[in-house]
Amino acid sequence: MDEFEQELRQAFARHPAPPGLKRRIMQRRRALELRAHAFPWQRIAAVILLSVVFSGAAAWHKRDEQRKGEAARQQVMTALRITNHALNQMNSQLAAHGHAQK
Amino acid sequence: MAHDWQPDFEQLVDENQSMVFSLALRMTGDRGLAEEIAQDVFLELDRHLGKIESAAHACFWLRRVAMNRSADALRRRRVRGLHLCVEMEEHHGLSEEARTSPLSARLEQLLATLPEAQRTALVLRYQEELTPEEIAATLNAPVATVKSNLQRGLKLLRAKAANNLQEYVRQKEYARGV
Repeated sequence: MDEFEQELRQAFARHPAPPGLKRRIMQRRRALELRAHAFPWQRIAAVILLSVVFSGAAAWHKRDEQRKGEAARQQVMTALRITNHALNQMNSQLAAHGHAQK
Repeated sequence: MAHDWQPDFEQLVDENQSMVFSLALRMTGDRGLAEEIAQDVFLELDRHLGKIESAAHACFWLRRVAMNRSADALRRRRVRGLHLCVEMEEHHGLSEEARTSPLSARLEQLLATLPEAQRTALVLRYQEELTPEEIAATLNAPVATVKSNLQRGLKLLRAKAANNLQEYVRQKEYARGV
C-alpha cells in the first residue's frame, strides 16, 4: 500500500453516525412491531368476513341449483304425464278398432 | 447447522451504525438520504434477524444491503435527473471549501466524482479495509471486475488529486525534498 493509499485510508475513515440515529431506528422498529401486533386482529376480521361472504354465496348457489333441478324434474314429470296420456288414448283407440273389426 | 449466537438488535445497531451510515453517505453524498438508508437497512436486518448466524455475518449482510440500497437510491436520483457531484458541490460547497478544508475532506469530495462502480470498490477497500475477494463477495461480483474497478478508480482518483489538489502535490514534493 503506497502513500496515496494510506492517505485514502485516513480520508475514508468511518463517519460517526448522526446523533439520535439509533433512537430513530428503535422508534420505527417499535412502530412496526405495534402495527404487526394490530395486524392479526385485522386479518382475523377479514378472514371471518370472507368466510361469511363465501359461505353465503355457496349456500345461495346450492339453493339455486336445487331450484333449477326441481323445475327440470317437474318438466320431465309433465312430459311423462303427457306421453302417458297420449299412449293411453292410442291404446284405447286401437282396442276400439279391434272390437269393431270382430 | 446449530449455532449459539443470539442476535441482539440494539447491540448490532450500536456496533454497525457508523459503518452503515458512512457507506451510504459516501455512496450518495447526502446526509439526509444516508440516514434514511441506514434506518431502512437496520429495519430490514430486524426482519431477517432469524437468518443471521453471527456478528460477522450481520456485518457482511449490513455492508451488502447498505451498498444495494445506496445504489437503488442513486438510480432513483438519476431518474429524477440529479447528479451526485453537482449535489456534493451544492451540499458541501466544493469549490470554496476545497481550497481551505483538510486534505481528507477534499479526497472524499473527489471520490464523489468517480463512476459508481469504482467508488463502490474504493469505499469498501479503504473505508472497510476489505480485500478484493471480500469486496467481490459483498457485491456478488467477479473478483476480476472488482480488481479492475479498484485499479481504474485508484488511477482516476490519483489523477484528479494531482490536478485538483495542488496543495497535496506540494506536500508530496516537499516530503520528497524537491
